[in-house]
Amino acid sequence: MDVLDLARLQFAVTGSLHFLFVVLTLGLAPLVAIMHTRYARTGTTLDERMTRFWGQIYVTNYALGIVTGIVMEFQFGLSWSGLTHYAGDVFGAPLALETLIAFFLESTFLGLWIFGWHRLPKWLHVATIWLVTITAYASAFWIMVANSFLQHPAGAVRDGDVLRLDDFGALLTNPSLSMALPHVLSAGLTVGGFVVMGASAYHLFRKTSDQELFSRSLRMGIWTAFVGTMMVVGFGFAQFGPVTSVQPDKFTDRPLAALGLGFMILLGHLLQLIALLLVVVVKWAPRWRFLHPLIVLVTPLPFVAAILGWIAREEGRQPWMIWERLKVADALTPGLTQAQITLSFAGFVGVLTLLAVADYVLISRIVRRGPDEIALGEKPAPAPALTF
Amino acid sequence: MEILWFGALALLVAGYFALEGFDLGVGLLLPVTADRDRAIGAVGPFVLANEVWLIAAAGVLFGAFPACEYALSANYTAVVLLLVSWVVRDAGLWFRRRLFTRAFWEWLITLGSLGVCLAWGLLLAGLAGFSFPFGLLYGLLIAALFVMHGRRFLDWRLTGVGTPLVTGALAAVPALVPLAGMAGAVIGNAAPSATLTVLTFMVLPFVPVMAGAQIWVWKAFGKGPVPAYF
Repeated sequence: MDVLDLARLQFAVTGSLHFLFVVLTLGLAPLVAIMHTRYARTGTTLDERMTRFWGQIYVTNYALGIVTGIVMEFQFGLSWSGLTHYAGDVFGAPLALETLIAFFLESTFLGLWIFGWHRLPKWLHVATIWLVTITAYASAFWIMVANSFLQHPAGAVRDGDVLRLDDFGALLTNPSLSMALPHVLSAGLTVGGFVVMGASAYHLFRKTSDQELFSRSLRMGIWTAFVGTMMVVGFGFAQFGPVTSVQPDKFTDRPLAALGLGFMILLGHLLQLIALLLVVVVKWAPRWRFLHPLIVLVTPLPFVAAILGWIAREEGRQPWMIWERLKVADALTPGLTQAQITLSFAGFVGVLTLLAVADYVLISRIVRRGPDEIALGEKPAPAPALTF
Repeated sequence: MEILWFGALALLVAGYFALEGFDLGVGLLLPVTADRDRAIGAVGPFVLANEVWLIAAAGVLFGAFPACEYALSANYTAVVLLLVSWVVRDAGLWFRRRLFTRAFWEWLITLGSLGVCLAWGLLLAGLAGFSFPFGLLYGLLIAALFVMHGRRFLDWRLTGVGTPLVTGALAAVPALVPLAGMAGAVIGNAAPSATLTVLTFMVLPFVPVMAGAQIWVWKAFGKGPVPAYF
């Protein structure tokens, strides 16, 4: 593989890894926020255990979202300086806004939520998880603004051999953004719903203690998956109009994009059907044991669909970095050497893949051990004598 | 407006050195720390709020000074070392109490912290045109300052003695010196005023929220029992 292939593969692999964790974050954040709000209202042990159990899974998943995200941001500067050179005056703005007014706050509030148990006033603590949720969604918005600019460079004018920001509003009303943003957010709800369903079904099938907690979680997961799949399919099809108005041949003559799209639609409909059938029997689902292994089995499918969706969107952009303006090959950092890209490829892809595997091992262990062994929100041990 | 955004960039980078400095310093100190649970517990609630200063600084670089982004690709190896070390350090914190043995992740926290310090030395020296060995030395100097800062922070947080303010200011100096030297070049490479106006208009209303959230972290976790999540 040459330098260009490696740089592209590096971005594709780290980006896909990033999204696997981000999509679950987007789906779980509002669910954990709702659970925590309920716990603050009722104060029951059941609500507390539910919040801490799903919160622990959410936070563990989040860890990999952060570290993969760090690598994503800097790759623009490392491998793709041609993009910044050509369109940095426009493309840099949504990225800057994402870091400053979304992620900066998200990370700070998340720290307050994780460490704020038994320390922050009850309702302020609840407020932090809602703030984390809102800023996570804001983060998704700005990243989609930046991505949509690559699909359709709205709001920019050519000035000599570079693009300049001309109309910030047009950047935000990009036809590539309008339906894609709700599509991505509802993909998050779909993934969140199916994960909550899957883990709950595991515990219900195994007849572990906490049957009530997981019955309630299963129902919540089914409703979330139902809303998520209906919206993700709806907004998915609604995208075709605006997207093909600016990228008419996005899915023609691009076999990989068409393949990704086809399988994603297939999976989307399958998940929609599953969620629809389950929502009909939502009242009895916790007791129907034969359902539970099937629910566990389909848990990975929404993740696969999410990655296929990105393959369709980004492969459908090739060979352009910015649609009909800048080729991917011309966006590569000039003078990037084989040694450099091999080094970063080994470092980023190697380390992040190992950590992703470790994180999934950890998440499945948390699920298996259940709500009895949750570190998040544990009562602090009595302060020991000062020994430092 | 270019000067205002350069100020924002300098503040974020300096803030990162002053804040993340003590996290990294405590990471470097782990092999000689007796009660590692308490040391990591002391910095734990601050890490997420501290490391995000650099992510925001990179955002300002991309948004307001995109032409300066070549600084990253021109120092490719140093930036890769910085990112991989940062990721390894973070993973050590998240996984320490949960996977394999604690000692394994504690060594990774220390190694990652050292890697970040050395990478900063190489990156900042590289930007100023100095040689590789000088960069390594500069990295060791940064590591030494961070160790001092980490010690002061632990003293303050765990025993209530002294303050990390002075060492925090010192920790920011290795970043501020090269930044001051490059100020002219960076400001001259700012994005056009249309972009800067949009950024200013959008970010300004959030500045009090950002400052408030950071202050809240210090108010909430500056004293009291040491939490045990990391």
